Order: sequence, then structure tokens, then C-alpha cells
Amino acid sequence: MTEFKSLDFDTMTTADFEQYLPEFFANGDGHVSTDPRLQTFLKNNPDCAALVRDLEAIADQARSLFEPTEDQDPSDTVWSNIQDKLKHGVSGEDDFPIPLTV
Amino acid sequence: MDVQGLQMTQMPQPAAPTPGVFKRNPPIAGEAEAIEAAKNGDAEAFSKLYALHKRRVYTLCLRMLGNVSEAEDMTQEAFLHLFRKIGSFRGESAFSTWLHRLTVNLVLMHLRKKGLNLVSLEETINPSEEDAPKRDFGSRDLALTGSVDRVALERAVASLPPGYRMVFVLHDVEGFEHNEIATMLECSTGNSKSQLHKARLKLRELLRQPEPAAQPNGLKEVAV
Repeated sequence: MTEFKSLDFDTMTTADFEQYLPEFFANGDGHVSTDPRLQTFLKNNPDCAALVRDLEAIADQARSLFEPTEDQDPSDTVWSNIQDKLKHGVSGEDDFPIPLTV
Repeated sequence: MDVQGLQMTQMPQPAAPTPGVFKRNPPIAGEAEAIEAAKNGDAEAFSKLYALHKRRVYTLCLRMLGNVSEAEDMTQEAFLHLFRKIGSFRGESAFSTWLHRLTVNLVLMHLRKKGLNLVSLEETINPSEEDAPKRDFGSRDLALTGSVDRVALERAVASLPPGYRMVFVLHDVEGFEHNEIATMLECSTGNSKSQLHKARLKLRELLRQPEPAAQPNGLKEVAV
């Protein structure tokens, strides 16, 4: 990032860190704690390091939510409604072929 | 047609995937055959596709909308739309990636039809001061203990303000990139990054709070 060119990663303030943290996460693989440029700063600012660890833990666990659990099914009514609509023909916004029944 | 943005007058087609999303959507056994059969109007094949993907589509809708009834309606719409559009699926991306993008676009269109137009959506992304995360990142004693429980996180995500929740689900759960989210939500990339960061801060705050009374279901309805 252009703004980073004038930033001294070792001596930046916590305010600087807070300002640029969204960019730090957005760049690279999203793991700020392993960014070589930030190692000195994080070592000298344990509270910031703790914050980074927490946000990384949240992001890591969020990926596990991609696979739903077994109790997260829609009700059977949804499929019934779909079948019903398909039997009676689906009015679409275009002319893609529509099978008449399910 | 590789349109990623959302237009009120036209339902966009799912665009080509990004590698990051594709990695999270490996092909499912038997899916390719079912897709080809469904393209030819095979009812059983469509039924199989529904069985394979209903849970993910429904959960995505529920997380974006925070409302069971609306989530079921949008799940229904997503599969009906899939039925109409499946002929245009070229197999260049993972089917689930394509289906998820189609679903996201439908949900966003639904939200806009409810009154969240292009301008107000950007405003809605910014919650009130009360909802905004507190600026206490220096409080080491309040840090998480190193692990985040899935159920607790699910509950915390459900209680996020809608704008935070939308960006968090799209980026951290669904794996969309900031530029894709910016296109879908018609906001700037910087706004997407900023809102994601605030969402994570808010989640950290919520996860550090004492557990609420036990709730029977992981996902609860949340007003939007």
C-alpha cells in the first residue's frame, strides 16, 4: 500500500497500528501475527499482539462455519413449495428451459 | 455473462470464481452428473442437487438475513432461480461457488427491494454508535483465551448489526474477496475492509461477554 511507504513499522504508534490494521489484515494471507514487518512492534506492544491473536482466531473459526451443522436444514415446506411451483411452471425473468415436474 | 454487481432490473449471473473461493468448494461426488442431467430437465437430478446444497444455501440466507422465514423464502427462490439458470452453468467454477453467488445476489436484491437502495445500503453498513465496537483493544485482560467456540461464534455473528454481519459472512465465512464484496454491496473496497475489521472487533467484544442463558438453537432470529 502506498501509505505504508512512509510508515516505520517498528516505531509506529498504537494509533497508527489501529488505523492500518484493517489493511494489514487485508494484505497477504490475513495473518498479521506472522508479518515480518510487524514482529518488532508486536513484541513491544503485547496488547496489540493479543488483539491480533484474537481477531485471527475469530477469522480462523469463521471458516469452519462454512460447513453447516446437521441441524441447519430448511424446513420440508421449502422443498414442497419448490415442487409445487415447478409443477405449475415457474415464471422466470428469462427463457431458460424449465422442466415441468420434479 | 460475467456480471458481479447487483442491478434492480436484472438478476445477475454468478460470475467466474476466485481461486480462494474455489478452494473451499471442492467437487462433490455425483454432482457433475446431476448437473448435466438437471440441465436436460431430469427431475431426480434436480432433487439431488437440492439435497446436496439446501443446507449451505439456507444457512447462507439465514446468516445474511437473520430471519428464518425470510431465509426459507430466499432458499426457495434460489433453487427456483437455479432451475431456470442451470443451463447457463458452464462448469468453469465449482457449482457450489456459482450457486452461492447466485444466492447472495438474490438476497441482496431482496434486501434492496425491501428498501435498502444503493445509498441506504452503504449507510446501513455503518451501525449506530451503540452497536459499534468499543475502542478498547489495549485491554489484554479481556483477551480471548486463544480459542473460539463455534457455537458461541455462530451466536455472536447472529447478534451482529446487519451491515457488519453481511460483510463478515461474505468475507470470513463464504470466502469472497473485498473487491467482490464491494461490487456486490456497491460500496468501496476500503469500506468493505473497514466494516470487516469492525465486525471482528465487535465479535471479539461479544465473545468476551459472559455466556447468555442457554438457547435451544444455534441460529436465532435477529431483527434486521
